[in-house]
Amino acid sequence: MKRFDCLKAVAAAAGDALVVSSAGAMTLEWNTIHPSDGNFRVRTLGLCSSIALGMALGLPRRKVIALDGDGSLLMNLSSLATIARMKPSNLLHIVFDNEVYEASGSKQTATAAGTDLVGMARAAGIRNSDWTNSLEEFAPAVTNAMNGGELCFIGAKVTTERAQVAPFPIDEVENKYRFIRHIEKTEQIAILSTSLPASYV
Amino acid sequence: MGLKGAGINLVATLPDVNLADVLSEVDEDREIIHVPLCREEEGIGICAGAYLVGKKCAAIMQNGGFFNSNNAIVSTLLQYQIPLLLLIYYAGDIGDRTFSTTGSMTEPVLQALGIRYYIMRDSEDAAELIKRAQVLSEDAKRPVALLVTKEVLGRRVALQSL
Repeated sequence: MKRFDCLKAVAAAAGDALVVSSAGAMTLEWNTIHPSDGNFRVRTLGLCSSIALGMALGLPRRKVIALDGDGSLLMNLSSLATIARMKPSNLLHIVFDNEVYEASGSKQTATAAGTDLVGMARAAGIRNSDWTNSLEEFAPAVTNAMNGGELCFIGAKVTTERAQVAPFPIDEVENKYRFIRHIEKTEQIAILSTSLPASYV
Repeated sequence: MGLKGAGINLVATLPDVNLADVLSEVDEDREIIHVPLCREEEGIGICAGAYLVGKKCAAIMQNGGFFNSNNAIVSTLLQYQIPLLLLIYYAGDIGDRTFSTTGSMTEPVLQALGIRYYIMRDSEDAAELIKRAQVLSEDAKRPVALLVTKEVLGRRVALQSL
């Protein structure tokens, strides 16, 4: 499977979901396919699943999608246990497993030697954890997860192929502000309200 | 301990024996979402994500867990300018028989990261300190740390000179 094709299938099903994407080329591909202020790019390897969990717990009525990679998830395997423990019904965790640290010189990850991330997710307690072996399996799995009301984990073995796309257009701080303003607008809540006095106190 | 008075409504924790009562208090509070962690660095991500969607968050951990969290603190909280109240149990504080090396590195690491911190020694001040630290963190859009000592937890007598 090509990751780029999988991301197109995610975009078709995403609706107004918030999307957290792991460090690396996947983020650029996702933002090309589905540019939105509801996209949050992660810079800390491993933290994608945890940031998505925090969003899902904070906004339980909004769908949250984590677009994770094998290298990233391997660095934060304990997040699978924490996600299983908290069981947010609005979280869809997708891992694109290309068996290499693609953004770091394409050295092999442990999944190249047989580590099974879906097996680990299921063993951690995420009942709806499945591998998808083709786009024909992946696309409906995403749609079902988005329409269902349960925590889901989807694994997709993908090639190391990268799509030729533009660089990410904004820096981390702008990403943060745009994302928060997007939440304020779409959820009609105030997050960054300040009560600055007219003069210094 | 006064977390709710500071508006905190999501707390990520990993236990230290001295924090047991505080964590039970958090766990029993229905107005606080309690996220028990397996590793402290996860908690930095969870709190960052929850902040981005409107929650006010705190992370409670031992100083060893603060060390575990440093990459996430730097490349997520500081890089994106995200506030977080860190309540860090000060293992290896003066008088402790364990973790003196961890204790000796705690303040220098906080200083190196440019994280403003305050040492909690007086339980009567705890709620107000938490409130002020939360205001500072939100205003500065950076993490602020409170070092939680045995004194403030009522586990030993407070000294007037500390």
